[in-house]
Amino acid sequence: MKITPKDYAISLLRAIEGKKENEAKVVIENFVGLLARNNDLSKAPGIMDIFSSLWNKENKIIESEITAAKKLDANSLDSLKGFLLELSGAKEVKMIEKVDKDILGGIVVRYDDKVIDMSLRTKIRNLSNSIKT
Amino acid sequence: MSIAKDFIIEQIKSRIADYKEDAKMRTIGKVISVSDGIARISGLSDVSMSEMVEFKSGEDKTSYGVVLNMEEDSVGVVIFGEYTDIKEGNEVMATGRVLEVPVGQSMIGRVVDPLGEALDGKGKIEKKKFYPIEKIAPGVIARQSVNQPLQTGIKAIDAMIPIGRGQRELIIGDRQIGKTTIAIDTIINQKDQNIKCIYVAIGQKESKIAGIVSRLEKHGAMAYTTVILAGASNPASLLYIAPYAGTALAEYFLDQGDDVLIVYDDLSKHAVAYREISLLLRRPPGREAYPGDVFYLHSRLLERACRLSKEYGGGSITALPIIETQAGDVSAYIPTNVISITDGQIYLESDLFYKGNRPAVNAGLSVSRVGSAAQIKAMKKVAGKMRLEAAQYRELAAFAQFGSDLDAETKSKLERGRRLNEILKQGQYSPLSVANQVLIFYALINGFIDDVEVKNVIGFEEGLHKYAEIVGKDVLKQIIQGEFNEDLESNMKMLISDYKATLQ
Repeated sequence: MKITPKDYAISLLRAIEGKKENEAKVVIENFVGLLARNNDLSKAPGIMDIFSSLWNKENKIIESEITAAKKLDANSLDSLKGFLLELSGAKEVKMIEKVDKDILGGIVVRYDDKVIDMSLRTKIRNLSNSIKT
Repeated sequence: MSIAKDFIIEQIKSRIADYKEDAKMRTIGKVISVSDGIARISGLSDVSMSEMVEFKSGEDKTSYGVVLNMEEDSVGVVIFGEYTDIKEGNEVMATGRVLEVPVGQSMIGRVVDPLGEALDGKGKIEKKKFYPIEKIAPGVIARQSVNQPLQTGIKAIDAMIPIGRGQRELIIGDRQIGKTTIAIDTIINQKDQNIKCIYVAIGQKESKIAGIVSRLEKHGAMAYTTVILAGASNPASLLYIAPYAGTALAEYFLDQGDDVLIVYDDLSKHAVAYREISLLLRRPPGREAYPGDVFYLHSRLLERACRLSKEYGGGSITALPIIETQAGDVSAYIPTNVISITDGQIYLESDLFYKGNRPAVNAGLSVSRVGSAAQIKAMKKVAGKMRLEAAQYRELAAFAQFGSDLDAETKSKLERGRRLNEILKQGQYSPLSVANQVLIFYALINGFIDDVEVKNVIGFEEGLHKYAEIVGKDVLKQIIQGEFNEDLESNMKMLISDYKATLQ
């Protein structure tokens, strides 16, 4: 039977569950050994991707990408973090900051497959559309 | 000049003042692949079936699609319109709305595409109200049985295969034998009948539609007709939604309490478009490679035709779906499906057509399951006898081909049958009012035409209608309004014999 990257990722997650760090290390070593034996080492990047998304889901961690026109100060980042925690019900938020001058102003927040677009660019575009019609 | 300028500036100002912007959370996805009008999208975790999604394919370019497939980690979407701009990795946004089309009185007299964009160059159409394209059909409580006739103006149909308002009557036959003509004649005949008409062209040649539209305009029928066009060059996604969009518009008129006639021309091309989409979405193919739900595809569409009871507004949607058969094969998959869904069919035969019997309605195979309840009394009376004569003639004609020695009764039956055949012939775009139809059929079954030569029957009929139009207006009125009684009969007899006297 063919084992898909998803199958690997799920079984790895189950194997690591509730283990301490040094125990987990042993599990991972064994897992890599298994991959090598099955000739599936080439699937490793795919497995890693799926595993990290599963891990995040399991432990209620979200990754959020925040795009702003200029670098945000620590204060606003902190309040954003609080907002995201409340909004998503997660326990932990990993923030990735991005600077994009094209959005002109405001911020765009993304996590999972959600987006909250509060950029000046979108606002101007919507306004111009509403005038046109 | 400056006043106009000021006015425009004022308007823009007020629009800016009215404009409200709030940050909304939206669900997004990424395009994994695009092929043949189908996009696969990752993400979009909480979209629902047949929800509209928005593709951002460039700075200011957006195109729309609709969710048709939902799988474990991807969503299958059909794209409306151009898909060549959409690239892998493009962002896709859920709109939170199921697919809906603009409806309204402003659609009347226009040629539009299934999404409500004007195609006739008569300017933009106001979009104020939207109706979802898929809607559950009215239930048992809201309905009422068919009780009002829908006159097609075609003698062969109104007499033998009557259609009632709220009925679904299939028009089936090979290519090029007058299916569309029957539908168009019916639309033309709805003038001043207080019926709104919708003609949905699915996968038709645009040249044919241009011809139909100009024909409708010529007869003043565009005043109450909307043409919804998904042409042969449109992608399958538009063809697929076209009949539903048409029905959504019909339902809008229905909600105003109107009677609506909707023609789907034709559903075989619709099924082919749906097959294309289904195969591209990798749904398993079934018989003739159609997907498993091709029956539901048409049944849910035609079930929305209805006659509502008074308490529910009392409007009706009469549906005339058209199916094209290959070499007269009515037992193919799609024809059998649609035959079983509808309340009867008008079967057109190529043999009859080439013999010159136009419209080429095969009276034996055509049926109307509910329409006779809606016929006017006078028509019911004459049509019953006439149908019998027609059936006897068909039987005898087949039998008499072999022998020449026939008794007098058979001969007279055959002669009358031949005259009936002549009467049932009718030109294109020349619908006849129901009163005139009753008159000519009455003349036939009572032997007034027996002494007219077969080749002169058409001329005789035309003369009778003209004569009745001038002299017999009251009789025609009486036919439509009153009961079928002796008074009416004697009036008709008198009118016809008076007319015959003028011929001598």
